[in-house]
Amino acid sequence: MISVENVSHTYRPARGRDVLALDDISLEIAPREFVALLGPSGCGKSTLLYLIGGFLPVEKGAIRVEGAAVRAPGPDRGIVFQHFALFPWKTVKDNVRYGLQKQRLPREEQEKRAQQFIDMVGLKGFEESYPSHLSGGMKQRAALARTLAVEPKMLLMDEPFGALDAQTRSLMQAELLAIWHRTQKTVIFVTHDVHEAVLLAQRVVVMSARPGRVKALVDVKLDKTDPHLVRSPMFGEKVDEIWNLVRDEAIKAQ
Amino acid sequence: MKYLPLLLLALIWEAIVQLGLISRDLLPSLSDVASAGWKLAKDGDFWTNGAASLWRGSAGLALAIVIGAVLGILMAWWRGVEAFMGPLVEALYPMPKSALIPVTVLWLGFGDGSKILLIFLGCMLPVTLAAYNGARSCEQHLVWSARSLGASRLRVLIDVVVPSALPELLNGIRSALALSFVLLVSSELIVARKGLGYLIGFLGEGGLYDAMFAVVLVVAFLGFFADRLYQYVADRMLAWRD
Amino acid sequence: MLRLAPWLSIAALAIAWEVFARSGAVTPFMLPKLSTVLARIGAEAASGELWQNLAWTLYRSLTGFAIATVLGLGLGFAVAHNRVVRWLLDPLISVGFPMPKIAFLPIITLWLGFHDLSKISMVVFDAVFPVITATIAATLGVERHLLWSARNLGATERELLHEVVFPAALPQIMTGLQVSLPIALIVCIVAEMKMGGVGLGGAMITASRFADSPGVFAGIVEIAVAGYVLVKVMAAVRRRLLAWHPEATAPSTV
Repeated sequence: MISVENVSHTYRPARGRDVLALDDISLEIAPREFVALLGPSGCGKSTLLYLIGGFLPVEKGAIRVEGAAVRAPGPDRGIVFQHFALFPWKTVKDNVRYGLQKQRLPREEQEKRAQQFIDMVGLKGFEESYPSHLSGGMKQRAALARTLAVEPKMLLMDEPFGALDAQTRSLMQAELLAIWHRTQKTVIFVTHDVHEAVLLAQRVVVMSARPGRVKALVDVKLDKTDPHLVRSPMFGEKVDEIWNLVRDEAIKAQ
Repeated sequence: MKYLPLLLLALIWEAIVQLGLISRDLLPSLSDVASAGWKLAKDGDFWTNGAASLWRGSAGLALAIVIGAVLGILMAWWRGVEAFMGPLVEALYPMPKSALIPVTVLWLGFGDGSKILLIFLGCMLPVTLAAYNGARSCEQHLVWSARSLGASRLRVLIDVVVPSALPELLNGIRSALALSFVLLVSSELIVARKGLGYLIGFLGEGGLYDAMFAVVLVVAFLGFFADRLYQYVADRMLAWRD
Repeated sequence: MLRLAPWLSIAALAIAWEVFARSGAVTPFMLPKLSTVLARIGAEAASGELWQNLAWTLYRSLTGFAIATVLGLGLGFAVAHNRVVRWLLDPLISVGFPMPKIAFLPIITLWLGFHDLSKISMVVFDAVFPVITATIAATLGVERHLLWSARNLGATERELLHEVVFPAALPQIMTGLQVSLPIALIVCIVAEMKMGGVGLGGAMITASRFADSPGVFAGIVEIAVAGYVLVKVMAAVRRRLLAWHPEATAPSTV
């Protein structure tokens, strides 16, 4: 569904030297797949996500979604950011309605759909709250609802649980898996946390330190619906396997 | 170059007057202004007036900075003082400081004294407030660390609180600097017999517009350069920051 | 005890004033009794003189402020969005900002005469700078992820500007306006003092020419109250417009 073909990306800051962030990346992602982009800081995983999302221009190589080249951001590739990016001047309901407004749906339909997704992420009762009154976890749920409401073909998630405390993160991971099982969307999930990658993804793309290259593609064939998954020996082995791949890169990135 | 548009503006100025698009009575050409300015510089009067302004401005500002900073830091250090002074400061802050011009004249006449007092009173508040906020924002943990390393309360004040307050204080002094120019020029335009502001008015009333424009530009650019120079010095003082 | 405190210090100041004035340590000329000054204010209010002067000063300063707001917003947005405009105006703004623009008053009266037009123009000239710089900083400082989220949800460039950029920039723009309003008042009063006539500034300078000490002090109190009220009104406007903002209290009057 998504194909990344020989993509490279260079950052050209106004001051300072050019930085090669991604070096000749090629990747294929199938529909309904949950893929994790894993690597140390600075490896370009977020950059790759932003390129797929259309926020940065593809200068070298090509990125295609269902055959069509990516040119600009759009509701088919929903994005969720680490720091939520909720519109602070809008209530939760108005935030979630925003994408629906852009689709010019009738007001009643907007309200209905927004409520549906607010309920789905467990924020019922907080429709009229402003983001500044919500906890981190609640903000991320709201951001998720906002993105899901426009029914994107895929979810691009940029370390979405990075700003949350460990307990909230755990809960949100479980909820994300539940939502993924229910909605069957393609998910590209950026993280630097090996544990999180193995827990959530079906396939982990291990990236090298800058400039980012695909170091390894690891299948994670574990039963995600198993509530005791994290304690199973297979889980531990998979984490070790991937951590060994990442460790050298993490040291290089220091 | 970054300042090229200013050069363009100067050229346009000269052009529109030379081409007769605007009457010379309203807008002397840049070249006329420059030559009038040059003549003024050779004339002793300009420098006496300049010296008077410089003296007034510096004295008033120096007093405002020293007394304002000390007051602000003390206010932060002794919470009781804050509770009392807070509402006063809040009430006095929005008062247009230029309203003090007539009363300083009433008290000290048309000379240096009234200007120095005006600038002192007007500029003290921004400095006090900045010193206060700066000292208040000093992290509690820094103070505790110093105490546990054996520093007395006074030493903590000097070694920890004052340096912590410095960035904000320097910012407040920058505002005070700009304000001192405004108050100085305002009072000299209205109630003075000496000084650059007075000179502007004098030249205007005498119909010597090219000289008047010259002094206006000199004063305006003095304000600009004072700010730039101050920024340079302040940045050096805060070199430890970033 | 804490609730009494604000009024306590102002009352204490008032009492100190009265006591000090009565003590004989200074002449009534240097410091008229507070009671005398208040009586004078009362007389001016009764005769209508106070209201007339206040109305003229408010008319000039607020008109100038309004024009400066519109001009500042417009120019600020233009500078933030257009390279050419930015190149042209940046040096003018950065050079003009720290200048004591009041020095240009004699030039303005030369061009525009001695009436309201020149007073209002002087106000605009001074008050526009904080608005422009705040608008530029606010517009350029809008969080990139907010813009990306909106584009992701389907917003067009035009919609971005007024649906995302403007509300996101509003807090900082409001701060700029809150800085600009007192400047408008200060400059208006100076212009009135220079040109004489009606208005709080003109009345004060007349009083000082007649060595009318209570009149001068009455003017100070009147202007101080006017300034205080205006600042409070702006703070209230800010609170209403920015009810959603995390720092939902008005910034200190710094």
